[in-house]
Amino acid sequence: MPFTAKSGKFNASINTLTIGTGDKAITLGGENVLPFYTFDAPIENAPKVGIEITDGGMENEPECIQKCYEGCTTVVDMAKAAAAMEGVEFLSLRLEGGDPNGLNKSTEELVQIVKDVAAAVDLPLVVCGCKNVEKDAELLSKAAEALDGRNALLLAAKEENYKTVGAAAGLAYKQVVGAESSVDINLAKQLNVLLSQLGVNGQSIAMNIGTASAGYGFEYVISTMDRIKAAALSQNDATLQMPIITPVASEVWGVKEAVASEADMPEWGPAEERGIDMEIETAAADLVSGSNAVILRHPASVVTISKLIKELV
Amino acid sequence: MQAWIPGICSGVFDLQNKKQVGKDKEFMFKVTFQLEGGESIEAFAAEGENLLEVARKTNVAIDAPCSGNAACGKCRVKLIKGEIDSKKTSHISDEEYEQGWRLACVSKVDADVEIMVPDIASAYKSRMKVADLDSAKEIEIFEKTKADIEAAGIEFKNDLEVVRVTMEVPSLDDTMPDNERLTWAVEAACGMEHVKIPFAVLKTMAETLRKYNFDVQCVIRKGGDKAEVLDICGPEEQVKLCGLAIDIGTTSVAALLIDMKKGKILAKASTGNGQIRFGADVINRIIESLKPDGKEKLQDAIVSETINPLIKQMCRSAKISPQKIYRMCVAGNTTMNHLLVGADADPVRMEPYIPTFYETTSIHAHDLGINIFPHARVIMAPNIGSYVGGDITAGTLASCIWNRPEMSLFIDLGTNGELVFGNEEFMMSCACSAGPAFEGGDISCGMRATDGAIEACTIDKDTMIPTLSVIGDEGQKAVGLCGSGIIDMISELFRCGIIDPKGKFIREGDRVRHDKYGMGSYVIVFKEDAASVKDVEINEVDIDNFMRAKGAIFSAIRVMLNSLDFTVDMIDDVYVAGGIGSGINMQNAVNIGMFPDISRDRFHYIGNSSLSGAYALLLSNEAEAKVHDVAHNMTYLELSNEPTYMDEFVASCFLPHTDAGLFPSLTFK
Repeated sequence: MPFTAKSGKFNASINTLTIGTGDKAITLGGENVLPFYTFDAPIENAPKVGIEITDGGMENEPECIQKCYEGCTTVVDMAKAAAAMEGVEFLSLRLEGGDPNGLNKSTEELVQIVKDVAAAVDLPLVVCGCKNVEKDAELLSKAAEALDGRNALLLAAKEENYKTVGAAAGLAYKQVVGAESSVDINLAKQLNVLLSQLGVNGQSIAMNIGTASAGYGFEYVISTMDRIKAAALSQNDATLQMPIITPVASEVWGVKEAVASEADMPEWGPAEERGIDMEIETAAADLVSGSNAVILRHPASVVTISKLIKELV
Repeated sequence: MQAWIPGICSGVFDLQNKKQVGKDKEFMFKVTFQLEGGESIEAFAAEGENLLEVARKTNVAIDAPCSGNAACGKCRVKLIKGEIDSKKTSHISDEEYEQGWRLACVSKVDADVEIMVPDIASAYKSRMKVADLDSAKEIEIFEKTKADIEAAGIEFKNDLEVVRVTMEVPSLDDTMPDNERLTWAVEAACGMEHVKIPFAVLKTMAETLRKYNFDVQCVIRKGGDKAEVLDICGPEEQVKLCGLAIDIGTTSVAALLIDMKKGKILAKASTGNGQIRFGADVINRIIESLKPDGKEKLQDAIVSETINPLIKQMCRSAKISPQKIYRMCVAGNTTMNHLLVGADADPVRMEPYIPTFYETTSIHAHDLGINIFPHARVIMAPNIGSYVGGDITAGTLASCIWNRPEMSLFIDLGTNGELVFGNEEFMMSCACSAGPAFEGGDISCGMRATDGAIEACTIDKDTMIPTLSVIGDEGQKAVGLCGSGIIDMISELFRCGIIDPKGKFIREGDRVRHDKYGMGSYVIVFKEDAASVKDVEINEVDIDNFMRAKGAIFSAIRVMLNSLDFTVDMIDDVYVAGGIGSGINMQNAVNIGMFPDISRDRFHYIGNSSLSGAYALLLSNEAEAKVHDVAHNMTYLELSNEPTYMDEFVASCFLPHTDAGLFPSLTFK
């Protein structure tokens, strides 16, 4: 009997979600197969790669990142530089200066930065908060207002502040709402349900289900993404069909393998190479596990991951 | 407020110089608890910390049945030295206040202070309750258990009997010793081949036989062709054959005094478990039992301080001598059983969790120091695992799920939730840690189902005004919520859209408040209308605690059923037991996702099934044999070995559940 390959495509599919406007807008999701299973059915929208900049000042960045933005004096300069880099499809602005335990910049000051960056680049925008839930509630709501019409992604609404962020970003200004949970399929689903019950359209939600740096309990990330995709596709679970976006950079550039200097760890080899390797490994692992977009920091990682995606899709 | 860990602070803060802590203005104060007639315990508290809370953290037992709502007036303590910021309540007279008496629950630490704490055992004694047996409802549950078990073909007959024995009076020509004379006579009277006379009887029989001129009645225990003479009484005496059934819970102990001939309940009583001062849960008790003389102290707390006073009180009310109790049955969890007999319970706590015994048949009252007929046999409902004990085997027996073809789920809602699933062919059991929420613990306005407890409620969706049903006499004002009230409250808050599926407040109104940290709460009763000095309110932390408890139960159900390849819709009947109260509204319990979504008329509340099981074991030898059978047929599933349990638990901590498809009949959002 001849072998007939059975297609593994599903009747359900991941939501199609557009971020940004005009020519540069990107579209995530839409596939009805497992990640990169192009042999089962074509993958309409390849995973996207974005680059992350922060308002937190260059001095806190690893040396190799500082190097990439040499000559930039403002966040806007950095945004322009980043937008011009090869392979960058969207720009992620992390407002870490808002952290009340850090620089504690005012919301007004930060929103002004958002406005300036938005005016300077036409790439799709992702705005990340400072990880303090109260501050983020205010900050992301105001950012949503400031970016009216840009169809930006606000990353992210969490269980603690979904009402404020969801209402501003999803209901009032029709932006894309990021839903952030911590590597648990049930928590991810619960937040999607909460946002939907608030009135946010499920079609304009992107999930950040959380990630770890490769080697830091990454098996939980794999299993969670795997099961989310399985529930979305094989069980047609509409509360889990949102595309996944994963901020890889903020995890990777905090682990010792990426940041320890060569002087401290001579046996580990050049620091820059290590950092890039960690970022590429983590991003690749996130993508094959089910991420529809990754946010990276080093331009070299962006180039490599873009190439990887191009080869596979 | 952060939990304060004893031992750490003393090293960090200078106790002599006002104990400044980290941020300015916050001080730690030394609180010395002087236990009445015992040791003194030192603790440290932050400024403004509630004294009752400090006592709890320090494991100092202060009796607080209303859980610190200033409603019951039981948490009295006496100031010895220093000052404490304490509100005056109606429970303490001016004179008493002058003497230093304060209610711990309304006292806030604001200086170093030394406090005398009354003996908890005496506090518990004052709370001992001999139930009113006029209430038909009380008796009905036991009658029904008996009828159900009888219907299953178990005869309600026990091995105790009274026989009249007449012997020849000894003479110089008839020199047979007393014990042989009695043995022969009993053998002849009841057709038994072997009659045994225990030492306790032997010691005193000469006097008794001569007093009645060798014409006596004997209380005997029959077993096969053997009989044992338990007691010798006069020929005309109305011999009372009594029995004692006890449910030993971690928190409370309930008992029945039974007429063994008629099966009639003579008295029912309940009290707190005296071991409570050694810790609220089984783990803390086990740890306490490891200290020098610990086993003896814990055994003493349950036997001399709890069970013996209960017996005394019941016997007094039924006008019966405790010496007439010839058979006793105990149903308790594995740890309680171990601590009762004074066995080492530590292996129960440590992996691989092996107890000293699952079953034992060789214990007599005098071995344990229980003040009944010394040679009375103590029957213990068998344990089947370290965390599924005799209370569950007895409860399973009472529920009769072992005799039905239908797939039944038996749920005992206590500090530990225990589940048994199966039918006449198989049974599986597991235990999950639900915490004290079902009994009102860990809930700021929680309390046990006693006077002043809100046992049911509804909320008007538009006005958010609740309608309450409060336990107690007409006009009783509300104090707090008991388990069934919390279920109703959360279900109604959710139905009215006041809380979201995570239990967080999403509506605003004059009954919804937010504290400075943003935590929401709902005022159930404003203080003007409450029997308390403050508003009765439920907050997000309470709701969260309860959601975890209900999540633990539902996820345990799911995991156990999954392990058998069953789904929840295959359950035919659900039997609910435990102290949550007969007021439990099954519809609301399903609404919040605590119980599976099956037809509401298939839910049955069976009360304290551990006690009704013990009652059955006491009265029937066949039931006693059956409970061992039931125990042997039960498989024990260790949930901590199930990798999917945590996942199911997180999925269950949502209203009603993350997978709404499991609750197809629920339509409201």
